[in-house]
Amino acid sequence: MMNPQRLSLSFSSTSYKYRFVQGFIRALKRINRQKLATSLLSRSSPTEIYKRYLKVKSAADASMASAVGLRRAWSRALLQRIRDQERINFGNKYYKYCPAGTRIRGKSTTFTMIRNIKRSSDDRNCKDQESINNGALGWKANELRKLVPGGEAMDMCNLLDETAHYIKCLATQVKLMKRIADFASA
Amino acid sequence: MESAFKFMEMESNELNSSDPSQDCFFKPQNWDDSSLDHQQACDPFESALSSIVSSPAAANSGAGDGAMIRELIGRLGNICSNNNSGEISPSQQSYNNNNNSTNTSCYGTPLNSPPKLSLSIADHHIRAKLNVPGSYFPPSLVPLSGDPGFAERAAKFSSLVNGQFGMNEAEFGYRSMARVDPGKFSRGLSSGPGGRVSGSTPNSEKKDNQISRSLTPENGEFADSREGSSVSDHIPSGVFGGKAENGNAKKRKSISRGKAKETNTPSSPKDAKVAGETSESDAKRSKKDGASSSGNEKENGGKAKAESGDGNEKQTKENSKPPEPPKDYIHVRARRGQATDSHSLAERVRTDSLNEVRREKISERMKFLQDLVPGCNKVTGKAVMLDEIINYVQSLQRQVEFLSMKLATVNPRMDFNMEALLSKDIFQSRGSFPHAPYLLDSSSLPAFPFGYHHPQQMPPLHNTISTATGTQFPVNPLSAQALHRTPSLQLPAMDGFAESDPQVPTFFEDDLQSVVQMGFGQIQQQNFEGSMASPQMKVEL
Repeated sequence: MMNPQRLSLSFSSTSYKYRFVQGFIRALKRINRQKLATSLLSRSSPTEIYKRYLKVKSAADASMASAVGLRRAWSRALLQRIRDQERINFGNKYYKYCPAGTRIRGKSTTFTMIRNIKRSSDDRNCKDQESINNGALGWKANELRKLVPGGEAMDMCNLLDETAHYIKCLATQVKLMKRIADFASA
Repeated sequence: MESAFKFMEMESNELNSSDPSQDCFFKPQNWDDSSLDHQQACDPFESALSSIVSSPAAANSGAGDGAMIRELIGRLGNICSNNNSGEISPSQQSYNNNNNSTNTSCYGTPLNSPPKLSLSIADHHIRAKLNVPGSYFPPSLVPLSGDPGFAERAAKFSSLVNGQFGMNEAEFGYRSMARVDPGKFSRGLSSGPGGRVSGSTPNSEKKDNQISRSLTPENGEFADSREGSSVSDHIPSGVFGGKAENGNAKKRKSISRGKAKETNTPSSPKDAKVAGETSESDAKRSKKDGASSSGNEKENGGKAKAESGDGNEKQTKENSKPPEPPKDYIHVRARRGQATDSHSLAERVRTDSLNEVRREKISERMKFLQDLVPGCNKVTGKAVMLDEIINYVQSLQRQVEFLSMKLATVNPRMDFNMEALLSKDIFQSRGSFPHAPYLLDSSSLPAFPFGYHHPQQMPPLHNTISTATGTQFPVNPLSAQALHRTPSLQLPAMDGFAESDPQVPTFFEDDLQSVVQMGFGQIQQQNFEGSMASPQMKVEL
């Protein structure tokens, strides 16, 4: 059981920051290299910008998740999600279909479904969970599950855990990205 | 915001189930007072009704209650559906359209079932008798006797009921009950309780018996009603509720006793059908209850009688239905359908303790989250807290999107030891960067051709982004959406950039490994223990 003290201590700030910044800066550099290399003509078209934005965003998420590592469920789920998307995009561009992408999608959704079924079939221990799910909190908990990556297959207790850690990482990510952006644009 | 709206919707849903202000809705508070004490004035049907309504009304969170309710509703619904082919109340349909559609189908099937005995008389008297204040009772209760298909219909209905998940069972009970015909029932409301007893013909009494018996899921004495003319004479003697059943108990005891022993040993084919149905619904109920086993209800009822000490119902120990709700009602909200013997009691205690522990964990984490989310110190209660958390997470995610958009547009070039410089700067100083002027030239140059192509587009975007940096993100959704709209049409055109993509899929594998390695290698490196890092270590991370 994770008490709040352990939660705060288990998150090592500087190493996380460092890892995040490292990964993110490298990704940004790569994206910028692509930007310079490819489109000299339509560099600032909305399409370009949007594409770059997507890449930057996924780079930010990936570097955040990899900075955290695989010890949190949300980081694993986030990495999986990014991998799936990238594989799908990659597959779409090179092959006209992406069996790999669909397979991965199916696997992840099946996994989630199985976990959900397992969770709900555990009647005895999930009675409280059911009451939470059916009550007013249940709807909010589901909203939260949509926000936190990998939250669908979690019960309330773990969901709150992951949410706390996720909030911490998000806040750090926002701060670091702000600094980077300010620095780059200043 | 839509979240608030949904929350209100949720609240209203909950309110509906226990809202005493609705006209045709059952008033649990009044009913609680009257039902148990005035057993004489109440039908066994009504008492069962009261139990149905009061127990779920009072304990909305009891998951096990719904199963009983569903059973009862199944019976009642099937009874009344024979008459109420088209009289499903439209007002109740507004509650839950989905529910209505599926339930009407359920009602639809038994509608055409054949045996309909003197319905008109039965209708009137039953309606008069079912004069429970405001309850939705199916006013026309077709006698269950001689209905061979009843068990199947009830089973169908209960299965249908069980299939409809995701709704609070108590609410569901109310709604499906409500749908039957509150309109008709209101007529019955006008007549006083006295009307119930007076003028009861043997026919109606028979139906009364049948109704009361039908309410007891364990008792399948439909066969009894046929022969029940002699038994029904007991009813006008004024013994309602438990006593009425007591009057009939002569016939029922033999059968119900068997049932009370948790072994459904039907003595007649009809009983067998009903027993089959009850066992099926019991199975379903047990699935829901988890810890309960089938037939616990009867045991529960038996024990409940002893516990509740209702004198009128002492003799009807076997009839678990009416006494059980009083037990539920009087005592703490024990989960329905769970036995009170030591074994399952221990189980229940264990489950409760587990739930307690879980709830403690959850509240502990909520407190921790309260510290994380800014501005949540005054907020109390899980619901509002969850709202705040959701909003905060959404805002953080939007900020990330906004910043990445900014980085994508504003920052064309980041080379030349940017990594080392940035990391040092980021960790050491917050505001001014000593190398900023140095890098400004290098970064401004690419910005020029960057903004050169679309001078109209870039400067406004740049301005909005730079101005919005201070504020959080009011501009971001607009700018992001504005950009999103146009690219969405042109996304297929992105396929042309194949040459840049080979790097993309390898990005994560390379970077992940390298980043992780670097992270592990650099953990000991405490160079970046900036002044701002340490004081904020507790707060941020």
